[in-house]
Amino acid sequence: MSILQKNISFDALVVGGGIAGGEAALNLATTGFKVLLVEKELSIGGKMIMLSKVFPTLDCAACITTPKVSEISRHPNITIYTSSEVSNIDKIAENNFEATIIRKPRYVVIEDCTACQLCEQACPVSVPDQYQYNLVGRKAAFIPFSIASPKAAAIDIDNCILCGACEKVCPTNCIDFTQETEEIQISVKTVILATGFKLFDPLLMPRYGYGLFKNVITSMQMERELAPTRPFNTVLRPGDGKVPDKIAYVLCTGSRDASIGNPICSQICCMYSIKQSQLLMGALPMADVTIYYLNIRSFGKGFEEFYQQAKGMGVNFVKGKIGKIRETENGNGNLILRYENINEGIVKEAEHDMVILSVGVLPNQDASNFFKKEELKLDSYKFIYQADSLISPARTSIDGVFVAGTASGPMDIPDSILSAGSASSEAISYLIQK
Amino acid sequence: MEIEKGKTFKYLREKRDVPQKVKDQLKEFNRIKKAMLDALKESDLTIDQLTQKLNMPKPEVVYNLMSLIKYGFVQSGDVDDMDEYYTYKLKK
Ligand SMILES: Cc1cc2nc3c(=O)[nH]c(=O)nc-3n(C[C@H](O)[C@H](O)[C@H](O)COP(=O)(O)OP(=O)(O)OC[C@H]3O[C@@H](n4cnc5c(N)ncnc54)[C@H](O)[C@@H]3O)c2cc1C
Ligand code: SF4
Ligand code: SF4
Repeated sequence: MSILQKNISFDALVVGGGIAGGEAALNLATTGFKVLLVEKELSIGGKMIMLSKVFPTLDCAACITTPKVSEISRHPNITIYTSSEVSNIDKIAENNFEATIIRKPRYVVIEDCTACQLCEQACPVSVPDQYQYNLVGRKAAFIPFSIASPKAAAIDIDNCILCGACEKVCPTNCIDFTQETEEIQISVKTVILATGFKLFDPLLMPRYGYGLFKNVITSMQMERELAPTRPFNTVLRPGDGKVPDKIAYVLCTGSRDASIGNPICSQICCMYSIKQSQLLMGALPMADVTIYYLNIRSFGKGFEEFYQQAKGMGVNFVKGKIGKIRETENGNGNLILRYENINEGIVKEAEHDMVILSVGVLPNQDASNFFKKEELKLDSYKFIYQADSLISPARTSIDGVFVAGTASGPMDIPDSILSAGSASSEAISYLIQK
Repeated sequence: MEIEKGKTFKYLREKRDVPQKVKDQLKEFNRIKKAMLDALKESDLTIDQLTQKLNMPKPEVVYNLMSLIKYGFVQSGDVDDMDEYYTYKLKK
């Protein structure tokens, strides 16, 4: 590791470049403060940039995210480090924090890359594409996805055979295998934590057959199948390439379930599943879509109307608790859902040809490891603790450190943006107080 | 070692071994790619037909075929009368 003791100063450090971190950074930057935005992935945009459309307006997610992300990227007061993580943050005094950032090599000089994709075409390697949730492959030299920001290639060094084909074809000579991990020391006056959420891993619920039965997929995989930059030519079953026509959603997968350690509601799964069901009815007009639910929580503005709209379009809602999913024995890849019909009080079975698990929101506990001297408290569900959740929801257990978006609990995009507004306002007050 | 611009992979090659697993993965992909492209050279095929020809599990056929579409070697053709399965063909 090459250690670079660069002593760089910023007004604010924002950790996490999802919609919440990006919005908070932008608010601070437009007020005149210098911001360092640290993102661990190859692109900013978080989960939102991967979505198809958004509830309840059905606006195209990419169309909303792209201008926002490019505004963040181009703002002169914002410095972005992608492929980077915070290793520690120490509070020295009020308005004085020191942080260490670890910046992994991308092996491409971002500023010089034209995203021509020639390296991608030349690279012989194919590995699962994490940005398509492993539904399709990608090269070891690759542009993360078409609306990535920065839109520049990266080399997946763990899967690279060091053949040099990418470097040979690169017209700008911007591939650089001499890049090394950098350790960067910075000082800042305030910190915003926007590290977002993790998705429930359905492998932890073997009774739903995820991983075993290829036509059981997650809601994030369905988001990708429905997005304009989708992995397949249309919505298909990964098990055999069939266009599905009897699709089931299993709501609350990994939410409201103390037995798997997550007793709370994820707040977004009902609505994103209803959204996807409407998009599926549009993409596959002949398809039947059934949503198995415990309760539909349509609490937000326009949500109940959105739910009724789905019903009106013919989406079938069944109040049912799924016990087990198994594959049919005739090898057609269909799935039998065994469930308790709550209204009728009986156990039933139903056959579907594709199942989507509406996976829940889990806390990302990364931020609790950043602070060695102070304690960044987590709440009882392991999200970042809000020290004054009613009056000052962005405050954490450390003065001068604020939380934005789903790092503090499950919420949708509008609420993440509101939360980011709150965090940036609090951070600005903290910055100007003497 | 002197580092020549445009040939920096040589520098890393001196410092880092490529794991056997990565080499095997590449071999396997090349094998599948060749088999799929050869099969499609003969005629346009559905995933079911490819599965039988290549004697390969269907999910693997889907994953690799979709990857070959993404990489520009293959394209989707018509869907059957039931609107269920597509035919795939070489990209001309
Ligand atoms: C399937 C699905 C569909 C959805 N559909 C909708 C919808 O239609 N409408 C809607 O309003 N909401 C929807 N949502 C919810 C929406 O995705 C979230 O509200 C939103 O993404 C929250 O933004 P965030 O910035 O808080 O978190 P995230 O999007 O999780 O972003 C967090 C960012 O922080 C980065 N990060 C994490 N840890 C670190 C670290 N240690 N160091 C540096 N960076 C780090 C991550 O890489 C990421 O970029 C959906 C969610 C899912 C799962
Ligand atoms: S050097 Fe690595 S990234 Fe570049 S073409 Fe070869 S395998 Fe791909
Ligand atoms: S690294 Fe070079 S070849 Fe690859 S996209 Fe960038 S400019 Fe093109």
